[in-house]
Amino acid sequence: MTFHVILTELLNGMLLTVGIFALTLLFSMPLGFLVSFGRMSKQPVIRLITQFYISVMRGTPLMLQLMVVYFLPWYLFKIPLSSFWRFPAIILGFTINYAAYFAEIYRSGIEAIPKGQYEAAKLLGYSRSQTFLRIILPQVCKIILPAATNEIITLVKDTSLAYTLSCIEMFSVAKQIAAAETSMVPFAVAALFYYIFNLLVSFVMNRIEKQMSYY
Amino acid sequence: MKKKLCTLLSALSLGALMLSGCGNQGAGNDADTFVVGFDAEYPPYGYMDDNGEYTGFDLELAQAVCDLEGWTLVKQPIVWDSKDNELNSGSIDCIWSGFTIDGREDDYAWSVPYVDNSQVIVVAVKSGITDFSGLEGKVVGVQAASAALAVLEDEEQQKALADTFQNLQEFADYNTAFAELEAGSVDAIAMDIGVAQYQLESRGNDNFMILDEHLNSEQYGIGFALDNTELRDTVNADLQKLKEDGTFDELAEKYGLSDMVCLE
Repeated sequence: MTFHVILTELLNGMLLTVGIFALTLLFSMPLGFLVSFGRMSKQPVIRLITQFYISVMRGTPLMLQLMVVYFLPWYLFKIPLSSFWRFPAIILGFTINYAAYFAEIYRSGIEAIPKGQYEAAKLLGYSRSQTFLRIILPQVCKIILPAATNEIITLVKDTSLAYTLSCIEMFSVAKQIAAAETSMVPFAVAALFYYIFNLLVSFVMNRIEKQMSYY
Repeated sequence: MKKKLCTLLSALSLGALMLSGCGNQGAGNDADTFVVGFDAEYPPYGYMDDNGEYTGFDLELAQAVCDLEGWTLVKQPIVWDSKDNELNSGSIDCIWSGFTIDGREDDYAWSVPYVDNSQVIVVAVKSGITDFSGLEGKVVGVQAASAALAVLEDEEQQKALADTFQNLQEFADYNTAFAELEAGSVDAIAMDIGVAQYQLESRGNDNFMILDEHLNSEQYGIGFALDNTELRDTVNADLQKLKEDGTFDELAEKYGLSDMVCLE
């Protein structure tokens, strides 16, 4: 296998890695908000349910969660699986896991805002939704950015766990090439790809952080 | 900025979705497709070739069967540990991947055996190990959920030998195991002879050798779900046809397996 083929194959695998990464962010970041509101809800039932959800998602390995999501329809309901289910199952598995982490990050931001700001907003005649959207949320975004960046970078590397469901993302491609070539070079290339990807992520997050430093 | 980021993300994900399907482009398990589950890190039976395509003795044979039947072959690489989950849940039609029948007779609907295989031990030449007695107190590597592991754990086969090892170390794939053998953290690896020969050829015969004593002899077959004998019978008949028209032997020669094939 020429080096050129190795690069091309790894880049193909990279597309899938980027796909898992982007779709997981797309779904888990909004879902995380929902979960964090549940976690801070005044309703004890909702609060307990979301607390339980978060503890399960954080307390069990992501690898295991992926397998459960993929194989559950078959083992619980005897619905035969098809190859179509593989990719959605991976996205679903990643999304529900990352939503739990994002929820806690959002909560850290929201609870960092002093109570006085809510009181002041109320006095000034802001409605509850106006207070949240115009006053609280912009500050929350700023506060949580470093923690969110951490999580997003972790996600880039976690995508390699998709191999558990036989999804041939970049790391699996590297493993297969390594096996065929009986060499470790593909792993070095894969490491470089992950690193460059994360450099890009940090660059983008830094830019966003700078844009938000308006006070 | 946020809007731009959103657009970028959605564009990326759409593109990825279209390209992905996780390796099999839009193929489901309908009547005209034949989804073969295989270990893509198992040369010469199934692996990635110089052009980045999946190939190997088993996959080319599967392709020949599909050509006879007019099916589309879907090559689905699987994690070896999950092969039963994949097969039972219907996400693959069969396991065709240098798959040992012995010890698993009742677990699958088996095709006719087509390869005579042996489990062997590979050691580093410089270790000075020349026979099984030399393995006493050594660390021996083996692939998880493999036939070699089953042989070493079976009381009636080589459990007694395995008990003399210091440790039986399980690996996910043989590439890692060989890296450890090279580095010296394992002293020997138990594996299928066909795979061992490929590894030695690729890594240079000077450094590693296969012990003359074999752990066992066994046969490869294609594993189907127990209730899928109909598909099994079709494939059996096709294998016979491929044997008669010479395709089978040609492929065996191409992958250096002529001494081992056993289809009559």
